[in-house]
Amino acid sequence: MKRLQKFFMGHSIQRLSKMPGGSMKRLQHFFMSTGFNHASASVFSIIVGLLFGLIILFISNPSQALEGFGIILKGGFSTGAKGTGQVLYFATPLILTGLSVGFAFKTGLFNIGAAGQFIMGGTTAVYIGVLWTSIPAPFHWMVALLGATIMGGLWGLIPGLLKAYMNVHEVISTIMMNYIGMYTANFLVKSYIYDSQMALSKNVAPTAVLPKGGLDYVFYNQMGNSKDLSTVNAGIIIALVMAIIIFIIINKTTFGYELKACGFNKNASKYAGINEKRSIVLSMVIAGALAGLGGGLLYLSGGSGRRIRVVDVLAMEGFNGIPVALLGLSNPIGIVFSAIFISYITVGGNYLQTLNFVPEIIEIIIACIIYFSALSMFFRTLLPRFIKFIKHKKFPEGENIEEGQTQEEGGEL
Amino acid sequence: MDYVIEMLNITKEFPGVIANDDVTLQLRRGEIHALLGENGAGKSTLMSVLFGLYQQEKGIIKKDGVEVKINNPNDANDLGIGMVHQHFKLVHNFTVLQNIILGAETTKNGFLKMDEAREKVVELSNLYGLMVDPDSIIEDITVGMQQRAEILKMLYRDNEILIFDEPTAVLTPQEIEEFMKIMKDLAEEGKSIVFITHKLNEIMEAADRCTVLRKGKYVGTVEVASTTKEDLSEMMVGRKINFSVEKAETKPGEPVFEVRDLVVASSHSTKNAVNNVSFRVRKGEIVCIAGIDGNGQSELVYGLTGLSPIRGGKIFIKGKEITHMKVRERNQTGMSHIPEDRHKDGLILDYSLSENLMLKKYFTPEFQSNGFIKFDVATEYANMLIEKFDIRSGQGPRTKARSMSGGNQQKAIVAREIDFDPDILIAVQPTRGLDVGSIEYIHKQLVAQRDEGKAVLLISLELDEVMEVSDRILVIYEGELVADLVPENTTVQELGLYMAGSKRTEVAV
Amino acid sequence: MNVLFLIVQQTMFFSIPLLIVALGGLFSERGGVTNIALDGMMIMGAFTSIFFINQMQATMSGQSLLLIAILIAVGTGAIFSLLHAYASINMKSDQIISGTAINMLAPAFAIYVARMIQDNGIQQISFNNTFRISSVPILGDIPVIGGLFFRNAYITTYIGFAILIVSVIVLYKTKFGLRLRACGEHPHAADSVGINVYKMRYAGVIISGALAGLGGLVFVVPTSTNFNATVSGYGFLALAVMIFGQWKPLRVLFAALFFGLMKTIAAASSVIPILATLPIPSDVYKMTPFIATLIVLAFSSKDSQAPRAVAIPYDKGSR
Repeated sequence: MKRLQKFFMGHSIQRLSKMPGGSMKRLQHFFMSTGFNHASASVFSIIVGLLFGLIILFISNPSQALEGFGIILKGGFSTGAKGTGQVLYFATPLILTGLSVGFAFKTGLFNIGAAGQFIMGGTTAVYIGVLWTSIPAPFHWMVALLGATIMGGLWGLIPGLLKAYMNVHEVISTIMMNYIGMYTANFLVKSYIYDSQMALSKNVAPTAVLPKGGLDYVFYNQMGNSKDLSTVNAGIIIALVMAIIIFIIINKTTFGYELKACGFNKNASKYAGINEKRSIVLSMVIAGALAGLGGGLLYLSGGSGRRIRVVDVLAMEGFNGIPVALLGLSNPIGIVFSAIFISYITVGGNYLQTLNFVPEIIEIIIACIIYFSALSMFFRTLLPRFIKFIKHKKFPEGENIEEGQTQEEGGEL
Repeated sequence: MDYVIEMLNITKEFPGVIANDDVTLQLRRGEIHALLGENGAGKSTLMSVLFGLYQQEKGIIKKDGVEVKINNPNDANDLGIGMVHQHFKLVHNFTVLQNIILGAETTKNGFLKMDEAREKVVELSNLYGLMVDPDSIIEDITVGMQQRAEILKMLYRDNEILIFDEPTAVLTPQEIEEFMKIMKDLAEEGKSIVFITHKLNEIMEAADRCTVLRKGKYVGTVEVASTTKEDLSEMMVGRKINFSVEKAETKPGEPVFEVRDLVVASSHSTKNAVNNVSFRVRKGEIVCIAGIDGNGQSELVYGLTGLSPIRGGKIFIKGKEITHMKVRERNQTGMSHIPEDRHKDGLILDYSLSENLMLKKYFTPEFQSNGFIKFDVATEYANMLIEKFDIRSGQGPRTKARSMSGGNQQKAIVAREIDFDPDILIAVQPTRGLDVGSIEYIHKQLVAQRDEGKAVLLISLELDEVMEVSDRILVIYEGELVADLVPENTTVQELGLYMAGSKRTEVAV
Repeated sequence: MNVLFLIVQQTMFFSIPLLIVALGGLFSERGGVTNIALDGMMIMGAFTSIFFINQMQATMSGQSLLLIAILIAVGTGAIFSLLHAYASINMKSDQIISGTAINMLAPAFAIYVARMIQDNGIQQISFNNTFRISSVPILGDIPVIGGLFFRNAYITTYIGFAILIVSVIVLYKTKFGLRLRACGEHPHAADSVGINVYKMRYAGVIISGALAGLGGLVFVVPTSTNFNATVSGYGFLALAVMIFGQWKPLRVLFAALFFGLMKTIAAASSVIPILATLPIPSDVYKMTPFIATLIVLAFSSKDSQAPRAVAIPYDKGSR
């Protein structure tokens, strides 16, 4: 895969080098730019992941494999406007967990705990939605979402404190919090808001359901005289707004500057007077809050939407935040797109059951995508160096700005 | 001519850089051959090729006139080639003995058999006067002893061709003398030696011949007996360089920076790293703290700048006590710091040049409002500094710091810290790893600061720099100040004695 | 007295898999590669071996079936670990990310194959437990000790202890162990004396995969009668055990015993007289090992003695 791309790029560079001055430089800079390399690496990972899925489909059921693959690719579109709405509905929690993981990445932290933060947030939201009925709409769902966010933040606070003050690696502590969260959520649901006949949480009060925000006029399929509504609601709008807010925080504020600095180089950050411990804790709290909000948004969608299942299984939405963040390169805009993509193929995967395929194939595909995006990170740093090397061969007298890369502080060569 | 090793027309490339460009080195049997060049000239790379760590793109290597292929250190070892690297390749929590035998273990059915090995090590140790305790753990012993362990590693493998990469970088002048003697003894025993260095004195004293590299290219090979320091340096740099720093007479004013009874703990022993150190730096004065690496300088600076907590003592800037202030407060009170390790502390390599230049100012009202960064102000500021300090980079303020050369990275840090207009500028090894042009530039800047009436505290290991740049020299040994000297009234030899702890005087504050 | 026997026996069922997997993780990390995919490797090892038992139990049973299953589990784990090895060592990718990918892949794969192959698309793979040794001949009759260690046991327990002993010997007394440790502390030093760091690290990861695969089987067999594509987070608990044991085999043993005990108390709460009377819900018990882990980690991570070069991909070119 990498050799293919290297080969492809190499040819482009050779062609480019025959072009006159200015535009070539700009194009060359484009190809060398990290943004392009990273994006193309993501796309490649997706393509290879999907191909792997196709291979597995073939092995399981050759006759229907192509049809099954087609269903996956058509994703939510195969059921019209309602299906598209469903894609957005399921993308909503993914955007938030993706933001959660991505935000933590920017600070140099691995938030594998999005699943625990997510379910605790969701449980809190449902709890408030079911039991605090004295609050009128529209405040009811707002308070529920707020509760979800705070609880998620709390769930991120603990690993954050442990890392900042006790040097506990956040990968393990967040994984522990996942399990603690899962059992706690199950316990809380069973104790206070349980619908024992269905083994699910109870329905929230109507005042706590997220408003449709006009989306019910767009995402539905006409069935005779009635509308088959998608469950999508204002949640997607909230998610998009959060993406924009996070983007602004990371790139435009002093707070974002400090967080990124800590993620890149904590020694230099200390040298600059940045409070590293505070940054770590705040970052985990924000990451947790985002995932918690995601849980709230998913579970406050009324009777037709999701309810919490009481099982000893970790929330998949939390883990899927990882590939969303990786594919989106921890950039909020990229995260929105990759969340929609993952949701798209997940919805498609659900339809596979009509063909006797098992929907878990989607998880396999997603895992492959993560794996290949991990591989391609090596490629991401190799390609720009390769291009510089070509440049050096063609223009040996050019400014040698590369010394910084190959020298350590001893300057030995 | 009886050449034991010949490296002919070697070219070695890395992505983006040609480290060795058609280089030739011929080593005679039993000679001490110096390999000279500035930082980045390609000396270490060339020897790494000989030692099998890298493979050359072009050129051949011959041993005893026969062409050989050296694909890995095992091949090199089989040919009798051994190498002591500048950064020792010793496993910190293994014993000396384990490090010596690693890779050449004697085993029985896979189980380690240490007795024979131990005997041989003790034997070699006695034969060459390299005393070590085989069961001591590397992280507990001195640098000098670690080096002896590295040398024993080579002798244990019966290496006949010994490569030393900057062997004296971490030794006192006395230890350097001892090392020179060891090298000469080894040569007399018939070993052939290459030693990499950029120190002309050592070449003049110990080497038979010297090969010079410059920016990856081969410049020439000379008989040391018939050349001079000036000739060598001209070959090394390509032009005549002025060894001395131009400096006007100084008229220091009142003390601006005062340190009293500073005590800083050590991270790896119960003894203090800094023990009751007191000194003053006056306006318009460059005070240099000289000493061998590892005698407490790093801890001292970390304590002064607030990066590490201190166990005792007080620090004052212009009479105001800053002992308990956080790093940022100290900056605001007039302290600037050019750190020892520009990649670790001084810069965020993944940030752009302008983001790095505003590293200590991003939170001020000038650069942000209501938490939002004013990027246009930042860019303007960066452009101003780039112009004023001649910082070269690929794309100006937007350049990622990582892609700048070492010299320009350091210039950026110097620019940032000087523009702070500090009362006290602390510069730690500011010219380490830089080319001669950058070194000259930075020395000029330090002197300029001092001429403008700033106080400069310089920490340095390079004796030339210490003698040339400072107005006053304080020597640190094992965490204490043992000398307060004026460059005009002392010699390098005397400095060396103080640095090695063989001599001490009371230091008047 | 019987309660005590029960507790000790149960503790073994929970501790031994932790011990085995943690030792596996130890070998990988000592070589310099972080392996958080232990959980996924456990699942794969358990999956293939239990599926084998499920298919063969009509014709075979008892210890011989178990022994073959063990070999399958070990082989599966080893092969599956190659994915992680390749990504981490050849591709120098982020070891946490590739580990996470594997952890997600394993259960999805196990469920997918189970549902595709089994009738009615059932997800769980059930098996008959014909492996319990009610009493080891001779040793089981020793007063007290016999009851504690040699009754209601599985050979896997003893295999686990054997692995511990072998690990100690290999790590500290053999050439392989010395070289492996060098690769984890200072790979450049190892490289400079001619050791192939890549090969050593591969060895470390493959050993971790093999042991994790075995651990998966060892976990499932004594504790349930079907496999449902999960090992309840054991792979992660094993990581914590490894850290708590400061990467030293004997300490890992004590850490594993500690956690096993916690889990036993949680699982057997209804049987233990004191605990049965307390109104603590089962979910809380299930949480205790994880909470205990957090607390333990909080106190043992300050002066971590992790191998110095762990999780840093080895790049020959960098100096």
